[in-house]
Amino acid sequence: MMIIRPITHADLPALVGLAKSTGVGLTTLPPNEAELTKRVDAAVASFAGTARKADEIFLFVLEDTTAKRVVGTCGLATAVGLRQPWYSYRVGLVVHASQELGLFTQTPTLFLTNDHTGHTELCSLFLDAGYRRDRNGQLLSKSRLLFLAQHRERFSKKIIAELRGVSDAAGKSPFWESLGRHFFSMEFSQADYLTGIGKKSFVAELMPKHPLYSSFLTPEAQAVIGKTHPHTLPALRMLESEGFRYEGYVDIFDAGPTVECDVDDVHAVARSHEFKAEISNAAPPADAVMYLVSNTGIDSYRATLVAARPTGASFVLSAETAAALNIHAGDDVRAVPLAVSDRH
Amino acid sequence: MKTDRVLILRPCRMSDLPSVERIAGASAVGITSLPPDREKLYDKIRNSTHSLAAEVDVNGEEQYFFVLEDVATGEIVGTSGIVASAGFHDRFYSYRNEIIVHASQELGVSNKIHSLHLCHDLTGLSLLTSFYIDPAYVKTQWPQLLSRARMLFIAEHPERFADKLAAENPGVCDDSGHSPFWDAVGRRFFNMAYPQAEQLSGGRSKTFIAELMPQYPIYVPLLPADAKLAIGQLNPVAELPFSILLEEGLEADTYIDIFDGGPTVEARMSAVRSIAGSKRLRVKRAASAIGTKQSYLIANTATEEFRATIALLSLDDASGDGRLSIPPALADRLEVADGDDVRVTPL
Repeated sequence: MMIIRPITHADLPALVGLAKSTGVGLTTLPPNEAELTKRVDAAVASFAGTARKADEIFLFVLEDTTAKRVVGTCGLATAVGLRQPWYSYRVGLVVHASQELGLFTQTPTLFLTNDHTGHTELCSLFLDAGYRRDRNGQLLSKSRLLFLAQHRERFSKKIIAELRGVSDAAGKSPFWESLGRHFFSMEFSQADYLTGIGKKSFVAELMPKHPLYSSFLTPEAQAVIGKTHPHTLPALRMLESEGFRYEGYVDIFDAGPTVECDVDDVHAVARSHEFKAEISNAAPPADAVMYLVSNTGIDSYRATLVAARPTGASFVLSAETAAALNIHAGDDVRAVPLAVSDRH
Repeated sequence: MKTDRVLILRPCRMSDLPSVERIAGASAVGITSLPPDREKLYDKIRNSTHSLAAEVDVNGEEQYFFVLEDVATGEIVGTSGIVASAGFHDRFYSYRNEIIVHASQELGVSNKIHSLHLCHDLTGLSLLTSFYIDPAYVKTQWPQLLSRARMLFIAEHPERFADKLAAENPGVCDDSGHSPFWDAVGRRFFNMAYPQAEQLSGGRSKTFIAELMPQYPIYVPLLPADAKLAIGQLNPVAELPFSILLEEGLEADTYIDIFDGGPTVEARMSAVRSIAGSKRLRVKRAASAIGTKQSYLIANTATEEFRATIALLSLDDASGDGRLSIPPALADRLEVADGDDVRVTPL
């Protein structure tokens, strides 16, 4: 069975292993053991309720309980930019017009902002390549939204997610080559790595502070502003189906889009409900659909996928699933149809 | 080479219009203060005449326009001018070179980033304009008179000018008038070649175009190589007037033209060599002065009847009366009588 649960110190070797297999571009999961240790420490403190809001990060792992293996991770940072500044470029537009001269020029601009300061962020998503099947990706990514729904008051009103921007097979980002490189003589992969180990604001401080005219960048760089790396498009589609939208904010290094949503409008928040658990090993009804279901705990949080057709206030779980979720009959559970189109 | 000629600088008169029009037609692209357009030149001469006649306490919209005349033939062989207040009634735009240091102690990095900031810093400064000399005189001493007689005029009439002096110089462009700086900067906002943009703006001031230019700073590292090279780069056609101004103490490091990137030089009036080093002396018409002779720029103290030339003079006070002896022919050319004052500065 595939189960989502809070990360623990025991998961550190597995997390390092996952981080080393991510490749360039997953800035929130750097292959640096010291940094990941700090990250796990912060997560453990967050689940225990002892972390400050500015440091709070809820990291989850996906465990194959049969193989007793951690095969994926995902995270939720409560409020970004409260410890170090959180930078994004806002894509704007400047019009230079003169009726008398018959001139009308539109020039896209990039404004360095800290607009997302304090927002909740979806982060650190990574799934072992061998497990990218059987809806594991959806379970991994959406389970934290169910956590968000259950513990709504802990988080900001706005939630964001940064998506990896376009880079080639060698890790070269056309946007970085045209902009960042001039201000900081390093490879994109190094800047990306520094970002991952919590030094993004240091790098950002070397970047241009004044608004930029995008037309001064190379055509290749202009073409990737707000564009998602092809490998990350499924993640974008998933977030879009949850209600996330690109609102014109991009990463300052690779110009990948930041998507955002009001937490209350996130599908898993708006459409999930609390039910009472009912334990039964009877086969699910023929019209059952796939549900994402979790307990209502924090440090004891568990989530998984089950086929179900809840009626009234009760949600039927098999004994095995209930055990895996630390749920007894009559306990509260939170559930939402996995597919946005499925109603209950 | 026309080394044997005697030239005099005087205010331009309306009767000079045909000559000035010919000069404007021959002047290089980029000397926008000398447009090959009869109506504009007519206005320029009229403005100058009015400015010289006006009583001025504080510098304002006055413009002064001078010509260099061959005394023997009456031929006009050059022009130069002064605008009392750059951007009067409006603004005078320049790009200011700035260095922004992007540093991080944590990362052990410190980068100096060259940027261009659109500014109005030079608004209200007095501006040297309209320099053009017949190529036949380029290698003579007369370009010195044409350019620096203006310094004598300023020194004599400081109330007519600001306390700082500036001059725009044309930037680099190819034979077809393409400026790499314009193509990389202005063109993105106009989508046309510079000569076209200038034409389009018609009789309007450059300010009109400037307002359509990018208002945010330009990060130089983002510009193409040829545009970077054009920043502060002088068009070779302007080598002569530019070098005279540099010798005068004007400096070229801070400001550039917003259209073609040409260097704009500037200095405090008190730091301009011919102004600071000029002296006002009383004249005695005398056949020949005794003592070591040296070349001087010499001008009378008039406005409408301003005259300046170059002469060999001795400033030794031979007769002991504190007067400068100048030969009657020179005195006549300068239209000074016994007891009048002149202003001199070493050539």
